[in-house]
Amino acid sequence: MLSRIGRWIDERAHLSDLWRSQMVDYKVPKNLTFPYVFGVFALVAFAIQIISGIFLTMYYQPNVHTAFDSANYTIMKEVPFMWLIRHVHAAGANFFLAVVYLHIFTGIYYNAYKKPRELTWIVGWVIYFVLLVTALTGYLLPWGQLSYWGMVVTAEIPTAIDSAPIIGKLKIGETVSIWMKGGYEIGQITLGRFFGLHIWLLPLILLVLVGIHLYLVRAAGISNPEGREIDKKKEGVPFHPYMTLKEGAYVMGYLAVFFFFVFFYMHHFLPPDNYDPADPFKTPAHIAPEWYLLAYYTIFRSIPDKFLGFVAFNLTLVFLLILPFLDFSPIKSARNRPLFFIMFIILVISSMALTILGTMPPTPTNAMLGLIFTAGLFAFFLSLPIISIIEWGWYKAKGGDKQ
Amino acid sequence: MIKTVFFTVITLVFFYIIWINNIFAPHERYEMPAQYAKIADDVKSYAKEGKQLFEQNCQSCHSVRYDAVYIASVQANPKLKTLQEKYGKVLPRNVYESVFHEDLMSLKESFGKVPPDLSTIYIVKGKEYLYNFILDPQKVLPGTSMPAVMTGRPEETAKIIAYLKSVAEPSPEEKGKRVLMGVGTIAYLIVMGVLLWIYRGRILKRMGLH
Repeated sequence: MLSRIGRWIDERAHLSDLWRSQMVDYKVPKNLTFPYVFGVFALVAFAIQIISGIFLTMYYQPNVHTAFDSANYTIMKEVPFMWLIRHVHAAGANFFLAVVYLHIFTGIYYNAYKKPRELTWIVGWVIYFVLLVTALTGYLLPWGQLSYWGMVVTAEIPTAIDSAPIIGKLKIGETVSIWMKGGYEIGQITLGRFFGLHIWLLPLILLVLVGIHLYLVRAAGISNPEGREIDKKKEGVPFHPYMTLKEGAYVMGYLAVFFFFVFFYMHHFLPPDNYDPADPFKTPAHIAPEWYLLAYYTIFRSIPDKFLGFVAFNLTLVFLLILPFLDFSPIKSARNRPLFFIMFIILVISSMALTILGTMPPTPTNAMLGLIFTAGLFAFFLSLPIISIIEWGWYKAKGGDKQ
Repeated sequence: MIKTVFFTVITLVFFYIIWINNIFAPHERYEMPAQYAKIADDVKSYAKEGKQLFEQNCQSCHSVRYDAVYIASVQANPKLKTLQEKYGKVLPRNVYESVFHEDLMSLKESFGKVPPDLSTIYIVKGKEYLYNFILDPQKVLPGTSMPAVMTGRPEETAKIIAYLKSVAEPSPEEKGKRVLMGVGTIAYLIVMGVLLWIYRGRILKRMGLH
């Protein structure tokens, strides 16, 4: 009976043709390494966030008087299993960003941003940026001390523009800051608009962007660890079952790690300080953004001039965006590029060190270290054109694309 | 190979530092004698007694709203019962704060601020801090308006902490259930992962792709 219904639908919707053309006849390189799975992990993490988020909206109240209690009493104590949903959503946000970072670094390592995949990279960058805003808006919602003061500090950052020589007179920064908060202080209006953005606009934008990103991956083909375009007819393996089952098994492992944190280690994802209701009159001792923003925060903090700091951390984001154009070398993948490999290690170490420095108190030594690692980060991006020129030389010397 | 090991190790170390144990970030540590720590942890035996001690020593200023324990003057107010019939035992914070505004303001007059609600304080501060602070508030937080009510009564303080823990954290039975659920979920995922891997191996062999 079921198979007859299935056949009836298939005769009209041609789903099995779609499956065959998109999953089985779609060929991928056989030599994809483990890091390629991070894209799938990110997709899974996104699905988890959407599902758990829908349930959280049912009980959360976006109201400064009741937000804290709705999160910590109604959700955590009153409604059965909502604690689990909140744990999943909170840990999920951190895992999502962690996986996205790993995905970005994988993309950089294998030069997945190069022709013909520039657009995939750029759309991916927009996803990353929207994701950061989503995380930021969601962080305010529990209305605890960390949420509140974290946002106070974040909303201050644009005012750094006002300390610039000439544009500072226009007070653009202050305007942006007020626009973010919906007023001069963080209150009901801020919470309301952040809630709306977090549950509707930003996830919808993400959904569309992720769709485009996936389409572009299909359109331009998956990059290759060897750094060459494969002949799919000869070397490709069918996406299903070769890739789907492999990635399915990896996803199970990922979920096992994820649920270990959900059930046994929520200390970092639901930090104790955030169980204190937001109090505008009580400044906590250590205010720092969440870990996924700490690298930018350290860059901002270690540069003595406020405006320059602001420019520097925005420049990092811009460099990431224009990476395909900074790196115009014809050779792909760090496997074939020793110079690039060295700079990549500098990038990894600098960004990790900057993140860790962000958790430390702002002493002069730490500011100095921050400056050194900021230099390391910039060195990576600025060395790319030089490396590219050198590599064009090697490429020509070897006979160009004739080899 | 060496590259794989290097990148794996550096990633794992990074997330260990950021998520699990940040050895670089400053930590405040407070000491608590082991015998009292044991009492504070033993919610099952001492939470009930702790609640009585809380009512005797703390309730004149502090509420524990998540346990429907309000400050003494509110608790004596007949309005509370009618409100609880309408809104449930745990009153919404805005209802509580507006109806009993005068009670809270009179506390504010004597102490400079409304003494905080202690529903989640156990999670925020931890038992070591609470133990030291309740026994000698001025030593831990100089200038605080909290009076030294419990000085010289460490055992009773530990029992009060056990009560606060019972309100802030899930009960021991609930915790047991969660552990069981967690182990079950993780075991299921691992088994499914392994089965998928074996299934994949067989299918690929049949397709000649291995």
